[in-house]
Amino acid sequence: MSVIALRGVGKTYVHYEHVLDRLREVVTGRRCHREHVALHPLDLAVEAGEVVGVVGLNGAGKSTLLKLLANTLQPSMGRLEVRGRVSALLELGAGFHPEMSGRDNVYLSGAVMGLTREQVDALYDSIVDFAGIADFMGEPVKNYSSGMFVRLAFSVATCVTPDVLIVDEALSVGDGIFARKSFDRIMQFKQAGKTIFFCSHSLYQVEALCDRAVWIHEGRVREDGPASVVVAAYNGFLGTPGGAGAIVPADAGAGAAAVTHADPVAADGAVQPAPGAITARLLKVEVEVDGVVGRRLQLTTHRSNLAVRIRFVSDAASPVPTVAVALTGTDGRMITSAGSLNDQRQLLRDTNGVTEVTLSFPRLALLKGRYAVNIYLLCERGIHCYEEAAQIAEIEVSQEGLEQGVVSLPHEWAGSVES
Amino acid sequence: MPVAKILRLPLRLAVHACSGLVEPLRALARHRSLFLLLLRRDLADRTSGTVLGFSWLLVQPALQMLAFWFLLELVLQVRFPGRIGFLDYFLVGMLPWLLISEAVMRSTAVLNDLSSLYSRMAFPIVLLPLLPLVMAGAIFGMVYIVLVGLLAGPLAALYAPLIIAALLLWLLPLAYLLSVVGLFVRDFRQFLPFVLTMFMYLTPFLYMPQMLPEAMQPFMVLNPLADILAVVHHLILGLPVTAGNWIRPWLLWLVLLGPAWVIFYRAQPHMREAL
Repeated sequence: MSVIALRGVGKTYVHYEHVLDRLREVVTGRRCHREHVALHPLDLAVEAGEVVGVVGLNGAGKSTLLKLLANTLQPSMGRLEVRGRVSALLELGAGFHPEMSGRDNVYLSGAVMGLTREQVDALYDSIVDFAGIADFMGEPVKNYSSGMFVRLAFSVATCVTPDVLIVDEALSVGDGIFARKSFDRIMQFKQAGKTIFFCSHSLYQVEALCDRAVWIHEGRVREDGPASVVVAAYNGFLGTPGGAGAIVPADAGAGAAAVTHADPVAADGAVQPAPGAITARLLKVEVEVDGVVGRRLQLTTHRSNLAVRIRFVSDAASPVPTVAVALTGTDGRMITSAGSLNDQRQLLRDTNGVTEVTLSFPRLALLKGRYAVNIYLLCERGIHCYEEAAQIAEIEVSQEGLEQGVVSLPHEWAGSVES
Repeated sequence: MPVAKILRLPLRLAVHACSGLVEPLRALARHRSLFLLLLRRDLADRTSGTVLGFSWLLVQPALQMLAFWFLLELVLQVRFPGRIGFLDYFLVGMLPWLLISEAVMRSTAVLNDLSSLYSRMAFPIVLLPLLPLVMAGAIFGMVYIVLVGLLAGPLAALYAPLIIAALLLWLLPLAYLLSVVGLFVRDFRQFLPFVLTMFMYLTPFLYMPQMLPEAMQPFMVLNPLADILAVVHHLILGLPVTAGNWIRPWLLWLVLLGPAWVIFYRAQPHMREAL
């Protein structure tokens, strides 16, 4: 039985140039508005227990679809049915009132979710416990740090197991330990066979997590099917002129190195493991070509060796994380990747909780062009990203021959060929 | 065909009037704990950061009345002919007026002010127009009971809660209508203070209806608030009242109830986009 059933559901935003245009339209019967079609009529059925990923460019209509499912937007046409309790992690804490205490906001949000006072009473301790801010529940939430705010909001939003979970972009909220906790909670919903509908720019996450993916393009479903197939098609599209630069700003290739962690990865690598504060973080990442370490490196096809050295620290209580390295083109399209999980290499950590690994690409077979190196520190299942070092280095590949394309594959000639 | 449509109109009006009365009350019953929290949230909003806190809600109308007493009794020394003291007459009418104007004023703004509640979440919006009503009733109701008890004795004080309850019921369709108008036609809120001031001058609580010029008297039937205050003055001070004073406001109420609900109901899906 379908948990989510959309029949001809579409959404059109109407815009009036002038306040009185709405009135003029009523009086004269002439159209005085501009229409913006966010979502063309579409049919979609999701069965119980399915995990569906939505991919698409910014402005393609992904968020509109999610809001329709969460019932915060009314469809302009069609029939939309969502069965069971829906929990939407769209804008966490949007309904919180800054002047009210954390405690009152829990009850307010609970009431909005349709829980009775007694039900919230019963859940209250577990909500506070999960958010981990028991000491601040009497304070008005306006005094909360943004981290505390989002922790409480997430904790309330997920305090009751929903039948349908709608997630926008992030599979985890907050940072450090809480990011992991929130991610685990979403995974529990998945394991409990709940329906999850989530949109993400991380194609990797969509592929790792979803059975099925829907690619939305310009308000229409462009493809709907097994996640691996849809993601591959979408990834291919990102490389074409229509999709180029959609993920990464056009000038991102200019040696820009970004580490999403607050303090930059230390160049000398002398960082003390943070005891217990964060479950895992990168300590040092280095990209080396033939003995030269740097942020902008020159390579020659089939000659140079590329090595990526990663040092990270992780909490001894959690399983050892996995790492992945991705090479992307300047347009953001994924060229190739390698991950310790996929290669079935169990990483080890020393008594300080530190792991150091080197990933080598001997005689790199990339053809001429500019590429970026991205490094990801992931959980043991390879889905939750503790930390990412996006475009940590740029490599410029030059080649000797005239071979065309992005990569030179191993090949052989046979037949009437001089040996 | 149009004839049949016109004939069916009273029936439709009656059906919608029933929903207009029953649906808000049903929502209130279903979401009572949410509604109580919203009231608390509203209180917190109005009084946060003040020393007196919630007491301000009572002190404020009390101070307002003190100011009028100072002006009218001490400075201007206004006197009415006959046995009714001016101040009694004024205060008995003033508080219901304050309740009405407060409820009207806040109704037009409520869907904007509390948009954060529903703009990004699924939320029973039908509760929101009830909020200013209940709030105004709570604030002015308490002051009114005390005041009437002091002015007209404990027996008359029994009428005060009934009057407040009837006023709130009467304001119900108005609250739903004005909340929609206030959201979709922003200009209305700029215009409203003028309308309220005019009503304040045209509604006899600063003067007795008989004090109006002869030529103006017939127009008083057009002002439902004049009828309402005539009833209030009758119940508490024993002043004369006509059947028209009783009937006209409730007739208007009956006519408004259905359309107000239908308009609110139809406007609901568009509210988030109107923000």
